[in-house]
Amino acid sequence: VKLTSSEGTEFIIDRKVAEKSVLLKNMLEDVGESDMAIPLPNVTGPILNKVIDYCTHHRDDPFVSQEDDSKKVSDDIDDWDAEFCKVDQGTLFELILSANYLDIKPLLDLTCKTVANMIKGKTPDEIRKTFNITNDFTPEEEEHVRKENEWCEER
Amino acid sequence: MASKILMGNMPELMEDILNNLNNEFYSLYSCALVSRHWCKISIPILWRDPFSFEKKPLFISNYFSSLGEDEKFVLRKCGINADLSKKLFDYARFLKVLDLSRLESKVNKWLDLELVNSNYYISLMYHIINILIKLFIESGATLRKLDLHFSEFLEFSPEIFYSLGENKKIFSQLQDLSLGIILDSSIESVTTLLKILAKNTTKIRSLKFDGFYSDYEPQLFHALLYALICIIKSQEQLRQFSLIGGEDFPSEFYGIISALESQQNSLQEVIIENCGYSEEFEILNNCKKLEILRIRYCSDEILLKILNHQVNTLEIVDYMFEETTISTIKQILEKCGTSLQRLMIDSIDDEIWEESLLLDSLKSFCPNITYLYISNVEFSTQLVELIGKLQKLQFLTLVCNDFISGEELKTLVIQFAEILPLTLQYLDFRDDWLNSFIDILLNHCSAPLKKLLIDHLVKKKYAKALIEFCTRNKTLNYVGVDRYLKLNKKIRKEVKKYVTLVPYEHIVVNC
Repeated sequence: VKLTSSEGTEFIIDRKVAEKSVLLKNMLEDVGESDMAIPLPNVTGPILNKVIDYCTHHRDDPFVSQEDDSKKVSDDIDDWDAEFCKVDQGTLFELILSANYLDIKPLLDLTCKTVANMIKGKTPDEIRKTFNITNDFTPEEEEHVRKENEWCEER
Repeated sequence: MASKILMGNMPELMEDILNNLNNEFYSLYSCALVSRHWCKISIPILWRDPFSFEKKPLFISNYFSSLGEDEKFVLRKCGINADLSKKLFDYARFLKVLDLSRLESKVNKWLDLELVNSNYYISLMYHIINILIKLFIESGATLRKLDLHFSEFLEFSPEIFYSLGENKKIFSQLQDLSLGIILDSSIESVTTLLKILAKNTTKIRSLKFDGFYSDYEPQLFHALLYALICIIKSQEQLRQFSLIGGEDFPSEFYGIISALESQQNSLQEVIIENCGYSEEFEILNNCKKLEILRIRYCSDEILLKILNHQVNTLEIVDYMFEETTISTIKQILEKCGTSLQRLMIDSIDDEIWEESLLLDSLKSFCPNITYLYISNVEFSTQLVELIGKLQKLQFLTLVCNDFISGEELKTLVIQFAEILPLTLQYLDFRDDWLNSFIDILLNHCSAPLKKLLIDHLVKKKYAKALIEFCTRNKTLNYVGVDRYLKLNKKIRKEVKKYVTLVPYEHIVVNC
């Protein structure tokens, strides 16, 4: 299967690897065998490369149903996946966007878990600093939210 | 610059991220204080299941802010001292998990904190539970999980049933329903509620019935059974069904099991506990997708009925097994063969492993096992050979008998350590007597263990072996210790430099 990234770089991958993406799987089923490259205007070359790495490593994993997310826990990431996610923040969020666009649920889960782990246990200020978020609350609003939810502070 | 995901452009992805913090109350609270957008996404997640918060349930006061002034006045008059003023959100609307026994215990604790001068503690508590349930229904909450455990004094007011009739949304997305032991005093309330559930739910995936008696007043009992059967039949895709028979060890199920025929194309997991045999179990033979079976303390004949299933997960728990049962389990293992991936056989009866019948079957027919839990098995050459044969094994729990000792045992432990498959990442070796060989085991083990469960670390030589194993293997993340509280401070401090020590129950992996 041929894929083209947003800059026009071409990637050739096995059909089995491509089919980890529900978007590509459906496209391939609709179009059938073809030499035409599938354009992926929302995914850059370096990110597509990472996504292909992920799908190649997990090519033989069983399909995970969209509904099987009842047992979400953020600390069960296996070693290869943890290593895969050791990237800069920009890349990590690009991977989330690509996993969402290409509809690769296990990759979306993994990258979301990784971001959740970066949030875990932090104070609001630490979270803002980590992700460069501006506090747009008025002092009164912030105080209201704090007061109504301060029961969580007891750890 | 922050990612657009975190800035509000893609709220569904932000929700996907924060969903992973489910029940991490402090982290979600921090998220709520980051910015307006973060607040909007994290508050509904934070308030999905606040009754599972294990500290002071002060959050309950927030629910009452949407009450009318008259109702607030009544609460204050009863001695409630909480702040009932208007809040930023209608928190009741976010509730997804309702467990009646938890609700009761949290309201009880909340009253201890907020009530001053009341002589009507018990009646006030049940009044408040009814107010809360009514608030949840009328707020537009859509539950995902409902646990109906009625205590002796809990009764739903007629207003709740009226509200349920007017607000059908609350059960429309229900996926998980548990029904606790039904007492005589609550059978009518439960039946009415189940009838409403049968009419308004189609998406239940997991259904659990706990405690089953047959000495209720016959008419009420039959109405209850009818409602239960209606619930089973009205679901589109029931995947998990669990029935706990209770002390009566019932063998009459009044059509409840037979009703599973309506779910034969979707049912994947069946759990049967404390039940006698009934012909109704034959229906399980028609369930084409059944892949997980858990049979606990049941009549041996039920096991015979599962012979035709090639399940991938099998759990058999009982005190004693008859000789015929052992041969039945042997046949089941042979039938499951390569399909079997997870197996637990737990019993205090060591005869089950005699003559190595089951070990031989496992060795010859079930090479794909990834999870193995066996108890009361003799630590023997046959057992060690079996473990060596299971080349896909990832999780191993052994509760062994000590028929051998001294040098012979030491040699066997070395063989065992050396033969452990390179796929093994979890070893539960908590036997007290085996624990005295833990240093020998670790010194000879090259399996890439991530989690190790042991009984104790009382001797320095055990700690030394553990540290050396961590340094050598570099894979071990956690060591669960049964006698965690008795850990020597010095040893704990030293070992903690290399691996995280936790009470064993924190890392136990179930079948």
